[in-house]
Amino acid sequence: MAGRRLAVRLAGLGLAVAVVALLPRLISEYRAFQLTYVGIYFIAILGLNILTGYSGQISLGHGAFMALGAYTTAVLTFHAGWRDLWTIPVAGLVAGAAGFLFGFPALRFSGVYLALATFAVAVATPSVLKRFPGLTGGSGGLVLDLPVAPFGLPLSPSDWLYYLTWAIALVLLTAAWLLLRGRVGRAFRAIRSSEVAAVSSGVNLAAYKTFAFGVSAAYAGVAGSLLAIAIAFVNPDTFPVSLSILILTGAVVGGLGALVGVAIGALFIEFLPIYAADVSNQAPAVIYGVVLIAVMFLLPTGAAGLLRRLLFPVTRRL
Amino acid sequence: MSKKLLLAAVVALTSLTVALPGAFGKTAAGTTTAADPGLTARTITLGGTFPLSGPVSRYAPIAFGMKAYFSYINARRGNDGKRGVYGRQIIWKFVDDQYNPAQTVQLTRQLVEQDRVFATVGALGTEHQQAVQSYLNQRKVPQLLVSTGAATWGRDYQKNPYSVGWQPDYISEGRLYGQHIVQTKPDAKIGILFQNDDYGRDYIEGLEAGLGARRSQIIERQGVESTSTDVRAQLARLRASGADTFAIFVTPTLAIGALVVADALNWRPQIYLNSVSATDSFIGVATARGGNDATDGVISATYLKDPANPKWANDAGMKQFKRLQAKYYPQGNPNDQLILYGMAKAQTTVQILLLAGKNPTRASVLRAAQRLNFVNPFLLPGVRVKTSATDRFLISQQTLLRHQNGTWNEFGNLIEGRPGGR
Repeated sequence: MAGRRLAVRLAGLGLAVAVVALLPRLISEYRAFQLTYVGIYFIAILGLNILTGYSGQISLGHGAFMALGAYTTAVLTFHAGWRDLWTIPVAGLVAGAAGFLFGFPALRFSGVYLALATFAVAVATPSVLKRFPGLTGGSGGLVLDLPVAPFGLPLSPSDWLYYLTWAIALVLLTAAWLLLRGRVGRAFRAIRSSEVAAVSSGVNLAAYKTFAFGVSAAYAGVAGSLLAIAIAFVNPDTFPVSLSILILTGAVVGGLGALVGVAIGALFIEFLPIYAADVSNQAPAVIYGVVLIAVMFLLPTGAAGLLRRLLFPVTRRL
Repeated sequence: MSKKLLLAAVVALTSLTVALPGAFGKTAAGTTTAADPGLTARTITLGGTFPLSGPVSRYAPIAFGMKAYFSYINARRGNDGKRGVYGRQIIWKFVDDQYNPAQTVQLTRQLVEQDRVFATVGALGTEHQQAVQSYLNQRKVPQLLVSTGAATWGRDYQKNPYSVGWQPDYISEGRLYGQHIVQTKPDAKIGILFQNDDYGRDYIEGLEAGLGARRSQIIERQGVESTSTDVRAQLARLRASGADTFAIFVTPTLAIGALVVADALNWRPQIYLNSVSATDSFIGVATARGGNDATDGVISATYLKDPANPKWANDAGMKQFKRLQAKYYPQGNPNDQLILYGMAKAQTTVQILLLAGKNPTRASVLRAAQRLNFVNPFLLPGVRVKTSATDRFLISQQTLLRHQNGTWNEFGNLIEGRPGGR
């Protein structure tokens, strides 16, 4: 039984890889660039899902960790002349370390208080970035070199960004899956359900909660780094408070506590505003809000819950 | 299935992702065709990014003003008896970037790669346009008449030949105020409220240049973040400094606050207000909240006619503005100078296209933008839109304004904004 379920998951992953690999053959360069954004959101939502969906800690500040990753990349390429590719893991580590440290004060908060604390981080980020104009370029930001495929790969810049982002996204998805299917995932879920019960079962609350924050922030940092590379520019306006809310929206729409819906959450936050703006130039936010309410009303468990319900007749037989 | 097998499968799949593009990847194709993208026998497509929603959506009327003027050009018959520009209808695609550079980059790519615009026109935001500048220049897509007053757009044309600015830069405007202070009140004690970014600092740089040796008379500087909404603490310190001259170099919302708070504190210095925040729709809010006391005597600068000022009622350009606004953008406020600003830009766009000839290319449009010399009906009488191969500042003449009883009135002559003139 367990082996079969594993086979289904592996087949799903293989299918995802195939789709991701072949898609640029079928679509325009611009669509590939759009799907790069989807990939970036995918990584950020994945990270937030580990934190909020599994360990039950809510964060309205993931845009700040994205900003940290993006600025790590920008500063290393702009001031130190690094190649953009090598800054990605550094950005992940820097944001991860910051997230881990933030996890300690976060231990004191729970529920809505943690949401407020993380929200404060998101609000403060633009001002902090402006404080160090020598390093960050202040509100004018840093203009980076346009991305090009390295090592002489015969790829257009948009296709290169697409493959880079989605290769990293799939690696991180696999890593998240491996992390969450074992002991760590069980501990996270135990904490989410009941902290008291988790502690009495021998789960080290502080260690797991800060670890969740660190991993989650590292994912956001990688997403931010890729965003900086893709748009070849960073400034404080690039990371507004609404970005953090957007990512949480994507995680909720995709389905908290499940990984299958993440791609749908990412597609949702990338494309819904575009279509909303097509419907009404004046009030895209209203359309966005109405659709969001409708989704939450009809699909309280998000896209993951819907998929599970639709596929239940199939998966039950396995 | 064992864990090793699982790991092997994952590694294989991931390496596949990396390997596949090499096998199947398409190469970046050259884009040289007969006509440049965005151009057909019947149409020319132009585009731009604007904050139609989000924190600075108050600038949205610019895009609608442009739309109104392009609609008029598409409907009227030109000198050659054809509608549009040489018989080509202008398709105007303006999109909402919410003032977020990440969106600006994505949407600019959409305009260029998917909507295939011939050029971008009037797109708004200094940082936002800098974020797409190298992309547009690399693709050789003209980035025309950007809606920003940073000096770089007129100055750095050698590095970015496809970028063309529009309005007088902030440094020149600041210099105007400095010179005026030296002429009218040489012993002024000056306090400054500035936005703590390049925008605010450009203004200060200009003010100091205009003051020359008297720059030491700036006795108090208070910075404020653009995201802030409250300037009471800064105003209290400025007032306490004993300054009798007050320069406001911040964006509209903060400027309104500064005028109202200064009035509430009963502080009555000579106020200089940067032009970005001085249009009637913004200062009108301050007058409505603080009364005429709050805004009487405020000095600013402009190169545009003011639709709120009755003195232009019989002016041909203003009549055209009101007519086009009523016909093509009736939802707009007829006194909104931002709509006029958009129309002035659209008029200049049409002039550039006419100058580029019947079969324009992106390169020929760019050359046309470097030999402009014409009068724009929406600009103050005497202001010429003028460029050369080494001069990309389209507009460099301005005049000072004084606010009185709810209206801006020009005083003094047109002033050449750059040293040396032209």
